Amino acid sequence: MILVDKHTKVIVQGITGKMGAAHTKRMIEYGTNIVGGVTPGKGGEKMHGAPVFDTVKQAVEATEATCSVIFVPPYLALDAGCEALDAGISLLVLITEGIPPLDTAKLVAQVKAKGAKLIGPNCPGIITPGQSLIGILPGSIFKSGPVGMVSKSGTLTYEIALALTESGLGQSTCVGTGGDPIKGVDYQECLTMFENDPATEVIVMIGEIGGNAEEEAAAFIKKSIKKPVIGFIAGQTAPPGKRMGHAGAIISGGKGTAESKLEAFKANGVRVAMTPAEVAKQVADALKQPAKA
Amino acid sequence: MNLYEYEAKRIFAEGGINVPPSQRITKPEELAKIHFGYPLTLKCQVLAGGRGKAGGIKFAKDLKDGMALAKDMLKLSIKDSKTESLLVEPKMSIARELYLAVTLDRDRGCPIFIASAEGGIEIESSSNVLTEPIPHPYQPFVGRNLAQKLGLKGAVLNKVADIANKLYKIFESKDLDLAEINPLVITEGDDVVALDGKIIINDDAVDRQPQFRGWEEAHLCDLSVRERNAKMTGLNLVELDGNIGILCNGAGLTMATMDMVKAFGGQPGNFLDAGGGSDQKKTLAALELVNDNPNVDVILLNILGGITACDEVAGALVEFMKKYPERAMVVRLRGNNQDIAEKMLAQSGLKLYPDLEEAVKEAVSRAKTGSSKKPVAAGKA
Repeated sequence: MILVDKHTKVIVQGITGKMGAAHTKRMIEYGTNIVGGVTPGKGGEKMHGAPVFDTVKQAVEATEATCSVIFVPPYLALDAGCEALDAGISLLVLITEGIPPLDTAKLVAQVKAKGAKLIGPNCPGIITPGQSLIGILPGSIFKSGPVGMVSKSGTLTYEIALALTESGLGQSTCVGTGGDPIKGVDYQECLTMFENDPATEVIVMIGEIGGNAEEEAAAFIKKSIKKPVIGFIAGQTAPPGKRMGHAGAIISGGKGTAESKLEAFKANGVRVAMTPAEVAKQVADALKQPAKA
Repeated sequence: MNLYEYEAKRIFAEGGINVPPSQRITKPEELAKIHFGYPLTLKCQVLAGGRGKAGGIKFAKDLKDGMALAKDMLKLSIKDSKTESLLVEPKMSIARELYLAVTLDRDRGCPIFIASAEGGIEIESSSNVLTEPIPHPYQPFVGRNLAQKLGLKGAVLNKVADIANKLYKIFESKDLDLAEINPLVITEGDDVVALDGKIIINDDAVDRQPQFRGWEEAHLCDLSVRERNAKMTGLNLVELDGNIGILCNGAGLTMATMDMVKAFGGQPGNFLDAGGGSDQKKTLAALELVNDNPNVDVILLNILGGITACDEVAGALVEFMKKYPERAMVVRLRGNNQDIAEKMLAQSGLKLYPDLEEAVKEAVSRAKTGSSKKPVAAGKA
């Protein structure tokens, strides 16, 4: 597994909000080690048994949390992220959608300066099945096993996880890196972590149109990743110039097409799957073959 | 949100960037009241690009010539974008043209300057382009470095550096996706003037920019009526040419579902992402939007409930089927409260497809063979 396990101490920023409260309950039910939460002005209260603090600093001092999952509204996210960094949080999971990209860029710069990690924004979070669910993923469709997943998408990740789980193929960790053009942890960081993770035998990488992160990751895979990688790209039928739901999912100036990404996959030894069911088939095949020398 | 040139220039001027004197007209007769002296430049105010090539910029040698030109130009549409008005400016004496823009670079994860010593160009196809990452917090020396790299000297170097600094300040304070001056003109008297400009405001930031509140509706003219309605109700709709209406939750799953429709021989009629956690009301609004498209023969609904509760979706479906009992539907619904949803839908006679591929194949075959119950569908399929 990577990034999180059952020992990871997690706080929830925005724990008393509608989303924060609902998902805190689900995360606790899954078994995530939720040690507290933060809502300014509500310090001293409890939410689903977890203590609420006014500031992240207080929460970290009282609980020794190292991870914060953030559910605050978009225009408060930069401040919330900086507060977590200042309090010494080393893993930020930013679920919020609709953060102005300049705010994200500023947060990413701070995260790098502190040597911390940011997952998201606009992401479903991370799950190490059977151990820790941090975010909004539906825990019931994941199961523990040898497949590491990294994806820009939420529900498409669930679809593919479901196909894997129903084929008896469990997952080591699934990371949703988010659908925004500017984000924290990227494919290459996740791929490296999976490569070094003894529990991961096969990697599934789910991409979509927009930008050239998939092309760069494909070149990186050829150079640095020995474990088999199965690639899936959403948006082959997307018209150019239109934003397809995610802020980052847009073909602009002829760049960021599905064809370009699929070609990069093929050229660099990434096995391409065209449907979620085919991902499961390819994973099963890869597990039968020995790794690249 | 794209702005018109005159709006962009107003924002540049407010930020201290030199722009030419100008006046906006909506009738040819208004030219008579403009006293910049001839020749004049007339420019169509449209949201589409490629305006110059499409005949949207003309020079008038006198009032009579100007009125004749204005009459035609006011009727001009460029790439479906209607001319909103004409911007009238004195024709300038240009010594040199530059290109200068600020945008966000998704690969570097930070804002960048894009600049070129050649102005008036199409920046995507030009090879003579500089990019310069912009550090946070901003420092004015970045503007001077940029001006120096452009090969500028003396007073012009300082003026361009100053404009770069101001352009970044506008970009940051107004939450823009793009602030572009093309061309940035150096006059024969060494003045530096923004002759044409483009501003794109970040859609996610509009709500914290009081200056732009309420502007969206007037700036969505590159969208179809249904796409515009979707945007106003907080849904993301992109219309396509096919006849299979698609409604899913989540952008990635919606795109993957479209791709599968195509892969199995069908034609997706739209992309519609109802978003995570959509309730009954929002789902119903989404169904209505897909249904409104006359090209759609069959609706394929694919919901994998993470945050979305299946019973909320089922509630919307029951209501929708009451209103449109003839509509051909293929429904795949999995996840939270799936059992409740199944019971609700059993009564309305809708068959559920738990497997995604089967659902897609069924939708494709019903669109193709015309087995859809909707009468118009048979003729089209």
